[in-house]
Amino acid sequence: MNLAHEVATTRRWTLPSVKTLTDVTDIVAGPLVDRRAGPRWWIAVGFALAGTGVGALAIGFSLMRGVGLWGNNSAVVWGFPIANYVWWIGIGNAGTLISSLLLLTRQRWRASINRFAEAMTLFAVSMAGIFPILHLGRPMYFYWMAPYPNTMQLWPQWRSALVWDFWAIVSYLLFSLLFFYVGLVPDLATLRDRPGSRGWRRFWGLLAMGWQGTPAQWRAQEKLHRTLAAIAVPLVCSVHSIVGLDFAASLMPGWTESVFPPYFVVGALFSGFAVVVLLALSLRWALKLEGLIVPAHFDAMARVILAAGIVMGASYAAEWFSAWFGGEAADQRVVAYEFGGDYWPFYWAMLACNVAAPQLFWIKRLRTSVPVLIGVALAVLVGMWLERILIIAETLSIGYLPSFWRTYAPTLVDGLILGGTICAFVLLMLLFARVLPVVSMHEVRKLVADER
Amino acid sequence: MTALALARFDDEGPYLRARARLLGAERRIVGEWLPYAADSLGHGEGERGIRFGVVLTGLAGGAALLALTAWSAIVAYPFDSGGRPLWSWPAFLPAPIEFGALTAAIGGMILFFRRARLTRLHDAAFDFPEVAEASAGAFVLAVGCDAGEDANAVLSLLAETGAVHSRLVTR
Repeated sequence: MNLAHEVATTRRWTLPSVKTLTDVTDIVAGPLVDRRAGPRWWIAVGFALAGTGVGALAIGFSLMRGVGLWGNNSAVVWGFPIANYVWWIGIGNAGTLISSLLLLTRQRWRASINRFAEAMTLFAVSMAGIFPILHLGRPMYFYWMAPYPNTMQLWPQWRSALVWDFWAIVSYLLFSLLFFYVGLVPDLATLRDRPGSRGWRRFWGLLAMGWQGTPAQWRAQEKLHRTLAAIAVPLVCSVHSIVGLDFAASLMPGWTESVFPPYFVVGALFSGFAVVVLLALSLRWALKLEGLIVPAHFDAMARVILAAGIVMGASYAAEWFSAWFGGEAADQRVVAYEFGGDYWPFYWAMLACNVAAPQLFWIKRLRTSVPVLIGVALAVLVGMWLERILIIAETLSIGYLPSFWRTYAPTLVDGLILGGTICAFVLLMLLFARVLPVVSMHEVRKLVADER
Repeated sequence: MTALALARFDDEGPYLRARARLLGAERRIVGEWLPYAADSLGHGEGERGIRFGVVLTGLAGGAALLALTAWSAIVAYPFDSGGRPLWSWPAFLPAPIEFGALTAAIGGMILFFRRARLTRLHDAAFDFPEVAEASAGAFVLAVGCDAGEDANAVLSLLAETGAVHSRLVTR
């Protein structure tokens, strides 16, 4: 199955079958207003809900019995929760980064993908936020990280990376929500004005806040959207840099590296684009968006994944080089441990997934091949998760103190919590696809008008 | 008796032509509704002060949190954390930077609501079905026709420039 036959000779971001501006509205708003959810959607919701329930049970069990149910031990104290947090926040960072970067650089192809990429950010960051709270051990006191007047006159420890994470996640989540909403307002008005269920139209109308589409409103919306995009790019870089600093600001072999912040940001873009590819393929198929999400989009995204894969490879090489060039025995021991230690199959698998698999995208035909796109995107997601867990497990298993060397093995509860958050993410995406337009109608209308 | 000529266009081109002709004929355009942020909008009403407000609220939010951080770490709770100075400014910067971005967005949102005159869920414009059509993909123009003006001439001009639908509303 290859999408290449659909590619027009000139690069267009919509198919010629989308002729008028109202066609765009019908394609995107139609499934929300006119059609009921099909059995496939209900089956998917059922599975996702069941998986989310199992994950919630595992979390509830952990809260009742304590973190001893996890694989974390006295040496590898971070384990799955922090690896999952970094993985999810990486995916979460990518949506707003992709949307804002492409907006600022006036990349017209963002119009069809930015909305669900931003939704991906909201849901992924929400999943990410669960893990540091659970990992506290006493999650009921997580609000102690916020400064507020209290009888004991205590204040947060501002020098702690945990407090940085708290501010980064909360600020980024709320910022992304506002950025998402600013782009969504005109489309909410479209849904409000379209014949359909009275209850839903009231809901969309309330959120549309009385949007009419006057020139003054469009100017205000565009100005704010671009201004927020200009803030979003450094914000995203700072959020994931802070996550990188959780490691780099410590004193552990393999972590104290200045390359970590940029390396984490590129990793976020890498895994985020992989999820966007999977979402684009799923939504295109399920909501019949072939006219709006075209093979050229996949070609462009595959190129970004290829570039990010090369940067990831260079980052790994920089890590090996600095260990060798720095001459620090503990750093060199960690690198040797990566290639031949307890976790070597996972490390080699990570290199295969993150560095080797994206190289397939050098071949033009493969950049629009659905099986290859799915395969590489899944490989990247697995590879990036392996990278997150290995950064933690390898360094903490073989730190400076030999008496503290221990290997790490996750438990079933660890796996169920991770699986539960993946199912919850899928569930939120499924609900989003039925409640809000997955493609930015007003931006695609402009694109269609330009391309005609 | 005053009247309003309402016209709907399917494309930006005819809408812009009609707009230019109406302005050339010194007609009063009393309302415009567009399905997307057309490049022809240019600068003008609506956008004033948004960028400045965003920067200002962002700086204010960041500075406020930095001040709270400094006061709480130095005055309210001077805790010796491994011999690090009370004024550990590099470690104090991440939270204010993140929070400043958030307050910038909140400030921008409030200004956006004010400049775009949002939160008005009921407006006289919603009485015209053409306004609802604009949000689905049409360009809509409303031209004021006072008593003594030839409303039919306005309708003819709109039809000439490519309006796919036009009508006269009297009040």
